[in-house]
Amino acid sequence: MTEAVVWTVALPLGGALVAALAPRHGAQVGVAIGVATLAAAVAVLVQVASGGPLRYAVGGWTPGLGIALHADALAALLLGMANLVALAASVYATAYFTQAAVRERFWSLWLLLWTALNALFLAGDLFNIYVTLELMGLAAVALAALGGQRPAVAAAQRYLVVGMLGSMVYLGGVALVYAAYGTLDLVAVSTRIAPEPAAWTAMALMTVGLLLKAALFPLHFWLPPTHANAPAPVSAALSALVVKAAFYLVLRLWLDLFAPVTTPDSSRLLGVLGAAAVLWGSWQALRAERLKLMAAYSTVAQLGYLFLFFPLFAGLPEGSARAAAFGGAVLLALTHGCAKGALFLAAGVLQRRAGHDRVRDLQGTAQGLPATTFTIALAGVALIGLPPSGAFLGKWQLLTAAIATGQWVWVPVVLAGSLLAAAYVFRVLGHAFGHAPGPGRRVTSVREELPALALALIATLVLGLGAAPLWTLLAASAGSPAFGGAPF
Amino acid sequence: MMAELALQLLDIMLVAILIGLAWATLESKDEGRGVVLFIAFGLVLALVWARLAAPDVAIAEAAIGAGLSGALLLAAVRDQKRAAAQATDAPAEASWEASRGGAVPPAVPWALGVLCLGLALMVAWAFAHALANGAPQRLAGEVLGRLSESGVTNPVTAVLLNFRACDTLLELGVLLVALLGIQALGPQRRPYAPAEPVLASLVRWLIPALILTGGYLLWVGAHAPGGAFQAGAVLAAGGVLLRLAGRRSAGLPGGAALRLLSVGGVAAFLAVGLALLLAGRPFLGFPSAWAGALILLIEAAATLAIAVTLIQAYLGGRVPSADGGSEPRWPATPDGPNP
Amino acid sequence: MARHTGWTQPVITTQLLYGLAGVALLSLGLRGALAAVSMLRRLLALNLMGSGVFLMLVALAYRGPGMPPDPVPHALVLTGIVVAVSATALALALGRRLAETREGD
Repeated sequence: MTEAVVWTVALPLGGALVAALAPRHGAQVGVAIGVATLAAAVAVLVQVASGGPLRYAVGGWTPGLGIALHADALAALLLGMANLVALAASVYATAYFTQAAVRERFWSLWLLLWTALNALFLAGDLFNIYVTLELMGLAAVALAALGGQRPAVAAAQRYLVVGMLGSMVYLGGVALVYAAYGTLDLVAVSTRIAPEPAAWTAMALMTVGLLLKAALFPLHFWLPPTHANAPAPVSAALSALVVKAAFYLVLRLWLDLFAPVTTPDSSRLLGVLGAAAVLWGSWQALRAERLKLMAAYSTVAQLGYLFLFFPLFAGLPEGSARAAAFGGAVLLALTHGCAKGALFLAAGVLQRRAGHDRVRDLQGTAQGLPATTFTIALAGVALIGLPPSGAFLGKWQLLTAAIATGQWVWVPVVLAGSLLAAAYVFRVLGHAFGHAPGPGRRVTSVREELPALALALIATLVLGLGAAPLWTLLAASAGSPAFGGAPF
Repeated sequence: MMAELALQLLDIMLVAILIGLAWATLESKDEGRGVVLFIAFGLVLALVWARLAAPDVAIAEAAIGAGLSGALLLAAVRDQKRAAAQATDAPAEASWEASRGGAVPPAVPWALGVLCLGLALMVAWAFAHALANGAPQRLAGEVLGRLSESGVTNPVTAVLLNFRACDTLLELGVLLVALLGIQALGPQRRPYAPAEPVLASLVRWLIPALILTGGYLLWVGAHAPGGAFQAGAVLAAGGVLLRLAGRRSAGLPGGAALRLLSVGGVAAFLAVGLALLLAGRPFLGFPSAWAGALILLIEAAATLAIAVTLIQAYLGGRVPSADGGSEPRWPATPDGPNP
Repeated sequence: MARHTGWTQPVITTQLLYGLAGVALLSLGLRGALAAVSMLRRLLALNLMGSGVFLMLVALAYRGPGMPPDPVPHALVLTGIVVAVSATALALALGRRLAETREGD
């Protein structure tokens, strides 16, 4: 039943309409639709795991003439993670918003963002990707500015302008692709593409546009203020999902579409930028005074790790080593999504209780919220990359591949980044455990604390210990011609 | 032969005017003048679209790209100037005006210019190469070949509402997101001036004409240039005119009716698509016999949604109620004539 | 340059002329967006960038005076115009909110 891919997009879209018409019931609609959408996403994942990649032609028109939705292992896994994080953030959001005016505005925008994310992961058409990018971008901007506070609105406006710039550049690349190859369908283009000026100019344009949206150094300047000033559930979605979606598109374009066109030098450039992101982001996170700002810079750093994989893909020949590295990258992306979501939700709980999120002054508040502090610790483990988190396996693959291809330069970067991550995580925890623990309830508010805790547990335990099925799934899907040619 | 030469001369002139207007827009010292030049650019661009046999795009560009974008930008410039005039003892906030003598070191524009020139050359070369070696048919052959199955005879409408309906569905979602985002920013303070009597009486004739034109564009979009976007933009222009003529609510209904109209486009599209899915067909897979009627239904809902969304965007998000709400008002005038 | 049957030189010349004009607008807009001093100018520049890409698309859709044009780029540009106005409207609303908070309401 491949219609599940349609339901993952149609359900949140319909929910958004209902929430816009009946804002007072937004929370009920949001959570109910969220559960249903997650179920649809799980259905997609199950189908992909058992039957291989899915392809759905919207309207019944052959792809090319019409638009196709694709779900292979990569898309299905990210879809699952995104829906899980979104549901957790939705549950948290039912308790977060105190002002009715803001709360009523939140849910329709939130569900539209959800629609865009799902549509993006499943998109199989270059221009459809553009429209989903715009939907996602505008929804993210509107959510980031929710509440109307000056720092949030200023950061959101900058985010919007950067997003528009990225989208226009991306669209220029799409125009070139259509000019040269006469189609917009991903599979069709990948069969016709050849190394020629139109192809690599289009690749350059589309990559730059997407890097702006993925906040890769040095195009990351808009991210920290936006993520730090947005409401907590929005920050979770922005850091865990929105930038991840842009990274997913770069991965998809480089590995599937433009595979004959990419050069080792261009991959190395991405790696260098990724390394700079790791070091700069981790350093700034260490210096950050506010917990949410620290988490935002940590996102910059963690995305850097993901881009470090590109020169490794270029250096490894097709085979099991490359498949293992690819699995590591996906695992790192999934873990970061869950961990960063957990961290922002927990930070939101702390900020609500304490009235601020300054790291130095968190002591009393953290004492009274043991579940949340535990969540931060777990998320921190996943961000540092300690076992048994999924990030440990991901970074292990990164290091193994770097040594195997002889690209030793990335090894100290990863180690330094992990050390800095340990530093900033333990700094927060050190401030949180300032006093002796007082007697108190373990979990003070279920709706607020459990979602974050659940995400952190998934990041640190489930994804690490349960990574084997993931690997087989990715390897099985990699061999099938979902995109006109096996990437691995 | 002479006709071809004349046409090529026209082309060169149009391109020169286009690039000249773009340059002037970016370089103009006064922001209001820049916006006016931008509107002129949009109108010349509409001429270019007509020259390139793209009448659908030409109408949309004139109505939305030049018209409504221009109205939004002009309103923003007017608000800035009003704010600057009121803040007489805050000269530092005159950063709204072009004060290039600021913190930008002189080398940066040069470096940017070189960078953008390099980019232009690279993209131009790639484009020329693609034109020369790319397949000439592209998707046109397929679309025109299967046009008869789509239920309409206007190829652009067929692509928008049938073959690539998924894009249009999401694009209506983009419009809705923008509206919701604007509304979430809180009520906007929009003082307005009383209408001049000439405009107020002209509106009595203009609004029915605009409504008729919008309806015509919607109806004819199935077999001639036109469609939901163009029709919606024309209706929105009518709303803007009403506002300028003194009707505070710009002809919009209030409350639940307005919300219903705003989401109606996406709702109709999604409802039809899901109904087809539940009936065993692919999502948004219109049966050939019904396609024309379904497309018209969706387009009608979309026209209204586009119109009310663009009008609300111009109003700044909140439709003023009859009692005036939180708006500071200048000396009141009676509402404009009924449309 | 390859020759395609049924295509005359003027068609490719027209396509190239307008397409390169689109590229010029794209880069002019990019420079304007990066160098802009105020949000309004940045928005104007971004809209010009968009118009440049649209021109590239419609130019390559043109197939000469005798043949019907390729409708797909026209549809893409229509979608793009609506998306651009939506983003512009939201950006202007954000700017208004910033101005309001500065006035200290």
